[in-house]
Amino acid sequence: MIKIIEKFVPAGVRIEEYGNIYAYEMKVDDIVSAVNHLYFIEKLPLKLITAMDERKESGSFRVMYIFGIPKENLFIAPYIRLKGSEEFPSVVKTIHEASGYERKIKTFFGLDPVGHPNPRPVILHGNWPKDVFPLRKDFDWRSRPAEAKNDYAFTKVEGEGIYEIPVGPVHAGIIEPGHFRFSVAGEEIVLLEPKLGYKHRGVEKLFEILPLKEKLKLSERVSGDSSFSHSLAFCQAVEALGGVEVSAEAANLRLIYAELERLANHLGDIGAIMIDTGFSFGGSHGARLREMVMRLNERLTGSRYLRGVNAIGGVTKDISPEAKDSLLKDLEALEKDFSEVMAIAENSNSLFNRLKETGTLNYQIALDHGTVGVAGRAVGILNDARLDYPYAAYPDYDLEIASETKGDVYSRFYVRVKEVYSSIKLIEQALQKNHEGKILNDKKIELKKNSLAVGIVEGWRGDIVYFVATDAQGEITRVEPRDPSFLNWTVLGHAGKGNVVPDFPLINKSFNLSYSGNDL
Amino acid sequence: MTILIWIIQLLLVPALSPLFIGIIRKIKAKLQNRRGASICQPYRDLRKLFNKDEVISEDASWIFRFSPFIIFAITLVVGASIPLFTGLISNPLSDFLVIIYLLAFSTFFLALAGMDAGSAFGGFGSSREMTVAALTEGGLLFSLLTLAIAAKSMNLFSISQKIASLPSSSLFPVGLAFVGFLIAFLAEAGRFPFDNPATHLELTMIHEAMILEYSGKRLALIEWAAANKFLIFAGLAANLFFPWGLTGQVTLPHIALALLLFTGKILVLSLGVAILESSIAKFRFFRLPDLLFVSFILSVIAIGLII
Repeated sequence: MIKIIEKFVPAGVRIEEYGNIYAYEMKVDDIVSAVNHLYFIEKLPLKLITAMDERKESGSFRVMYIFGIPKENLFIAPYIRLKGSEEFPSVVKTIHEASGYERKIKTFFGLDPVGHPNPRPVILHGNWPKDVFPLRKDFDWRSRPAEAKNDYAFTKVEGEGIYEIPVGPVHAGIIEPGHFRFSVAGEEIVLLEPKLGYKHRGVEKLFEILPLKEKLKLSERVSGDSSFSHSLAFCQAVEALGGVEVSAEAANLRLIYAELERLANHLGDIGAIMIDTGFSFGGSHGARLREMVMRLNERLTGSRYLRGVNAIGGVTKDISPEAKDSLLKDLEALEKDFSEVMAIAENSNSLFNRLKETGTLNYQIALDHGTVGVAGRAVGILNDARLDYPYAAYPDYDLEIASETKGDVYSRFYVRVKEVYSSIKLIEQALQKNHEGKILNDKKIELKKNSLAVGIVEGWRGDIVYFVATDAQGEITRVEPRDPSFLNWTVLGHAGKGNVVPDFPLINKSFNLSYSGNDL
Repeated sequence: MTILIWIIQLLLVPALSPLFIGIIRKIKAKLQNRRGASICQPYRDLRKLFNKDEVISEDASWIFRFSPFIIFAITLVVGASIPLFTGLISNPLSDFLVIIYLLAFSTFFLALAGMDAGSAFGGFGSSREMTVAALTEGGLLFSLLTLAIAAKSMNLFSISQKIASLPSSSLFPVGLAFVGFLIAFLAEAGRFPFDNPATHLELTMIHEAMILEYSGKRLALIEWAAANKFLIFAGLAANLFFPWGLTGQVTLPHIALALLLFTGKILVLSLGVAILESSIAKFRFFRLPDLLFVSFILSVIAIGLII
């Protein structure tokens, strides 16, 4: 293991090994070049930049830059300690996708990314005081700071005939709240700027406070439609910290449940994309097929959203051999049903006219913003955590990455269609495999002290990353969930630019990003 | 007896229009494998809205407050002045130019009202509605002009009578004009592929965006007027292009039969609209002019052929 890491790390640096993550301290002055080296020379994907308040233990803040090493399921994390300083050098000038992370560190830890071109606060709004930083340890989660009245400056477009349309956070339909500021020339979108944060609930702070069992429940509620993937990523990180073994049978079940979640959401999205073009036939059948999977979920686990299924050390719900047989039959019927609906949809020229060349995302822009998941694969960025960081039972099965190249709504639609078929195939293969062993390892969980771990899971939107750290008592002191939406929201404006306003809901739907996963 | 005919003529459009909206929704639901609401649901919605309080923006002027009445009244007048089930009761308003521009007048007030409350969506809806309305006008006017030339009359009732006895050689241009009229009808009534009456996405709306600020009684009037407008256009399509079955006699059995035939014709049209809306996606906004030009060109060709 250490061999793989050594080639990435500058000579003479002491590498600290924690389960699946290798961390090493760099001098503050050297960090920018070290991070640039990993990003540009070694071409490692940046997974997360996070901060920790360790002023009590070591009198410093720690800022970590976590990179993944694809195929190895390992993570490498150079970090810096800020002693007596509340500033750290920004890497945004060269690595654009770091922007959101650094802004978040500034907003929640009050650490200044020096050199960041646009360090506006994220998530917290103008009513939150500028000098209160909720993720610092000395901030009491029960306190309620006085209401502030700060400004938030939207980017202004000037010129003849340009006008601004504010949309949301309350919408005409029942969707999550988010504000979009359009600057338009006639019907053409010149600039689109989303402002989110309306669903901020203090999830990261709550993760520090709640007992372990409740933390697991909280992870299921970070983004409701990805309950299983989020809790799986959290469990994997905690299992790495606790050295908890997961049986082959439990790993296999985790794959089945995770793919069922993907299946339900992709079917729902495929229908929703069609309904947003006004193609009501496809829309209602998408909703119907999604409901079929949701009912399968309920039949198997008692929860439509697969809540309460994941546990640290495995899963709580087994699938009996009879249930496996009937699930196989149901999936076969579902696949046939789905291909019939798609056959009719593919005959509709008016539908494909709306999907093609709408909301095209440029490859380079997508790459620079670190676009992940469905949106990334639709422009040809071949990232899939199931293949890059094989977890659960994924190494046992063949999986072809679903990709398209154009980056328009049509591509995102078809990535989903391909993944519906591959998910069904994966579940069918997994159902035919039987392993011996308990589905839940009930060994008492004792977490390593002063340790770190990363859990990564390919949710249906993209990879979900959980960073978990423990203190000297083996208690979890910091959890940062990174939903794929946090990155993908940044490209929505670019995909919308140049389109007409009435096409925006369709473009938005083709990404279908999570507000609550972003706002935490 | 003539009084009876007048009463029926005046009340027929507002009384039946919600029913056909309900029927289209029901057919669409069935085509999507849903059960769907009762065909009487639009009546219940109207009753519900009439019993509700309304909220009017502080920035709204008299235009916002009066427009629903103007729009609704125009649809009533127009509904009473077109051939529905009988050819007997023409009035001075039954001129096809008067009818078209009365309806354009109501569209004008709707667009003004959309902008009046000052919300971003209202302005959007109005701008889109006027774009579509301006392009629709050509096709609408020229398709009816074809009939007027063929019948050598501007009066809708006499057009309807003459078309029924036209020689078969004129059927082709009348058919072309019908296609042109049909496209204009879909645009005017705010149906697919121009507008999605069922959408909840405020950014894609046309008609719904203009009335987004309305609530309660005024919303009920506007919704009702929109249903009336649909029935007026459907009635024109049915009785100008297929003018058979209008009663010429003032006896109860004849009137009943004519009413039945009228309902039947509108049902066929509603079925067509519902099937269209279930089988295609809405067009991109910038493709709509193409379709409206088709309507215009078809009508011009029809005129060329008939002269």
